Amino acid sequence: MQAELAPGPPAWARLIARTVIARRTVRKSVRSAVLWGYVFGITVVSSAVSYAGIYKTAAERRQLEVAFGHNLAAGALFGPARQLQDVAGFTVFKSSMTVMVIGAVWGLLTSTRLLRGEEDAGRWELLASGETDLAGAATQGLCGLAVAACVVWALTAVAVVAVGRWSLHVGAPAAVYFATALTAGAALFLGFGALTSQLAASRRQAASYAGVVLGVSYGLRMVGDAVSGLHWLVWLSPLGWVEQLRPLTAPQPWAFAPIVGATLLSAWAAVCLAGRRDVGGSTLADRSSRVPRLGLLSGPLAFTLRLARPAVTWWACVLAASGVLLGTVAKASGTTIVGSSVRQVFSRLGATGSGAAAFLGVAFVILAMVVAFQAVAHVATARREEVEGRALHLLAGPVSRSGWFGAWLAVATGSLVLSCLVAGAASWAGVALQGARAGFWSVMAAGVNMLAPSIFVMGAGTLAFGVLPRATVPVMYAVLGWSALVDLVAGFTPQSHWVLDTSLFHHMAAAPAVGVDWKADGIVVGAGVLMALVGWRGLLRRDLQLG
Amino acid sequence: MTGTSLSAVHIEGLSKFYGDVGALVDLDLDVAPGEVVGYLGPNGAGKTTTIRLLLGLARATAGRAEVFGVDCQRRPVEAHRRLAFVPGEANLWPELTGAETLHVLGQVHGRVDEAYRNRLVERFDLDTSKKVRAYSKGNRQKVLLVAALTTRADLLVLDEPTSGLDPLMEQAFRASVAEARDRGQTIFLSSHVLSEVEALCDRVAILRQGRLVESGTLDQMRRLSAVSVEARFAGRVPDLSGLEGVDGAVVEGGVLRASVSGRIEPFLAVIAQAGVSRLVVREPSLEELFLALYGESPQQPEAVPASAG
Ligand SMILES: Nc1ncnc2c1ncn2[C@@H]1O[C@H](COP(=O)(O)OP(=O)(O)OP(=O)(O)O)[C@@H](O)[C@H]1O
Ligand SMILES: [Mg+2]
Repeated sequence: MQAELAPGPPAWARLIARTVIARRTVRKSVRSAVLWGYVFGITVVSSAVSYAGIYKTAAERRQLEVAFGHNLAAGALFGPARQLQDVAGFTVFKSSMTVMVIGAVWGLLTSTRLLRGEEDAGRWELLASGETDLAGAATQGLCGLAVAACVVWALTAVAVVAVGRWSLHVGAPAAVYFATALTAGAALFLGFGALTSQLAASRRQAASYAGVVLGVSYGLRMVGDAVSGLHWLVWLSPLGWVEQLRPLTAPQPWAFAPIVGATLLSAWAAVCLAGRRDVGGSTLADRSSRVPRLGLLSGPLAFTLRLARPAVTWWACVLAASGVLLGTVAKASGTTIVGSSVRQVFSRLGATGSGAAAFLGVAFVILAMVVAFQAVAHVATARREEVEGRALHLLAGPVSRSGWFGAWLAVATGSLVLSCLVAGAASWAGVALQGARAGFWSVMAAGVNMLAPSIFVMGAGTLAFGVLPRATVPVMYAVLGWSALVDLVAGFTPQSHWVLDTSLFHHMAAAPAVGVDWKADGIVVGAGVLMALVGWRGLLRRDLQLG
Repeated sequence: MTGTSLSAVHIEGLSKFYGDVGALVDLDLDVAPGEVVGYLGPNGAGKTTTIRLLLGLARATAGRAEVFGVDCQRRPVEAHRRLAFVPGEANLWPELTGAETLHVLGQVHGRVDEAYRNRLVERFDLDTSKKVRAYSKGNRQKVLLVAALTTRADLLVLDEPTSGLDPLMEQAFRASVAEARDRGQTIFLSSHVLSEVEALCDRVAILRQGRLVESGTLDQMRRLSAVSVEARFAGRVPDLSGLEGVDGAVVEGGVLRASVSGRIEPFLAVIAQAGVSRLVVREPSLEELFLALYGESPQQPEAVPASAG
């Protein structure tokens, strides 16, 4: 038989093979992109719509402007307020910081998961199979992430343009500018996540590097916004750049320059670094050999502590830094909590009175969201241990499921308690540093007060882990995301009691502004424990999941 | 089973259904203490499923499994004290070094033969000072093998333990399993490497589509199966079409190749009469045995015409 010269695959088939990672990245990120795009849109719409309802008269609106216009407490937490006498300025003030931070968290988690996580799981090698190298794979991944960012932006933009037309009375270009400003944080941190994915040696490490960048950014802009002489600090902070876009009020489009520059630069650096390292390797030195360290390897509980130790330490540092920061700005910010409108907002967030304590009361509610996020991270790690087949080595040995998961819950609870205590002590120290007075024990109690919502989140996670394991992480994010959103929006917009009651943080007293409501905390913790027990039973009865 | 002798593994009516799909259907299997059993079957046959049920990691739909008389589904921890397990996918903690991993796995199991561990580390040529992150797949597999072997557990459950090992390490593995066997440990080995099974196992059990299709010693299985014959004839090749037990006869330039099952005398009589000049009779290799067994699937897929290219 005459051998025929086999024609190569057609050009389109090769193109499809070469974009397999890009398409996979789009597929794996588009669902959360759509979800957050909607949430951002709804946040803007609800702020705009509620304004007209609450601040009916011009007098009320002027009062709002006078109170918040130069309010450092609000500025520290939510960014500076401008032109609150009209609905556009109010909407920008109310939705910007929340959307920006949530967008940044989404961005860094998504890009580290889809770039580093996929690589660590070995999926890229499988998919690319010689069609591309690591730099090519990273390029494709970034293209996929760019599509996801566009999806978030487009959905937000649609909502903002619509609300801009009907209720904000601004044209489409200004509305699109606003939507772009809202989602710029997400784009920036998609880029930073891509960069840290190349620098770090694992997904978790990459996410924590990017998380540090986010924390520092928030801290810098907070000090910059709250302390008058230090305004220049804002320009060192990526979140500060986004803030300086000032959509709808006093636009500064040139603030896009550092944003676009940093995003593109980190994407470009990511591709370059990817081309220079091995699959699974890191750019920063990661010594691959060492003498064995045999501490904390002697049983399930000790070993779990060893596995979780870096995370425990990391979270304690995050909470310590946040505590010091909040404590430091508390005095300056608290003195500006004057005027009925500001008090009203702070009291809707649960804090009464004025001064450092009132400021800290609201700050601790927001910090409690960070602690609850930590709870999500711990349970998600246990889930990954199961699915990625590492727990198997213990569970196929003489370790019971109760013993294994119990160890994770114990370590997680211990870590949460530590974070709360550290946050309390650090903010007390921050306040003391400024020469303001705050009772040590009441601030510590306020720290412990943050524990209840996170225990509830952990309980919900455990319930899902036992009963519907695939939903473990989504369920926790749903509980946390919903609660945070309802509570933050409620601060500025009175909501129906029924809605408010669904937020975990609404049941949390804004200590130290008010006394800790131990009974409410007890009920929330009790509900969490109850869910955990149901989940526990499920865990003992279900199949172990692998792969 | 009769008498008081306790099986190392006793499986009775064990089934696992995922929805309507029977991953394992009504399995009965016994492994005597000290026996080395090969567990074979095509991809998706249900080998890993069996092992997960045996370890109590998955819940059985029906039936039961015991390890040295301990119910694996109800009292898994107690059962696990008697066994060590090596999965086919070696996912380990990337931040630990090889030595740390061996240490923690040993601590968890409770008893380890440290001298033997050092010997094995040398035999498998493992650099235990390296972090797992820096290990190749084969090296991670070696860590798990060493960890399991050093427990000296009464039962070793191995699920494709040599995937990723190079031929030299495959030899080290065989030597180690042979040592374990000589010490009287029981070994349950699921594998796709047939030469490995042939070299190590006293008995094999073959699974297909969740059902046990064969179980017995290799000799027994060979006796039941066809032998392949190759006969050269000086003159005309005889017609074998009427002969019982003769399959797949092919004639090529005076040479007849066929497989003969059951009684071989009628076949011999016919070829003797026809003037056979040379005769080679060969027992089937394990591989041929399997291909025959795997192949006779009731829902064999249609042969797909190979595309040119
Ligand atoms: N969690 C699950 N959900 C649904 N089906 C499953 C699940 N686990 C296994 N199966 C199915 O059960 C069957 C048996 O799978 P199993 O992993 O036991 O095969 P195996 O013999 O180990 O194959 P291999 O040689 O490829 O390892 C397969 O058809 C598989 O698709
Ligand atoms: Mg298998």
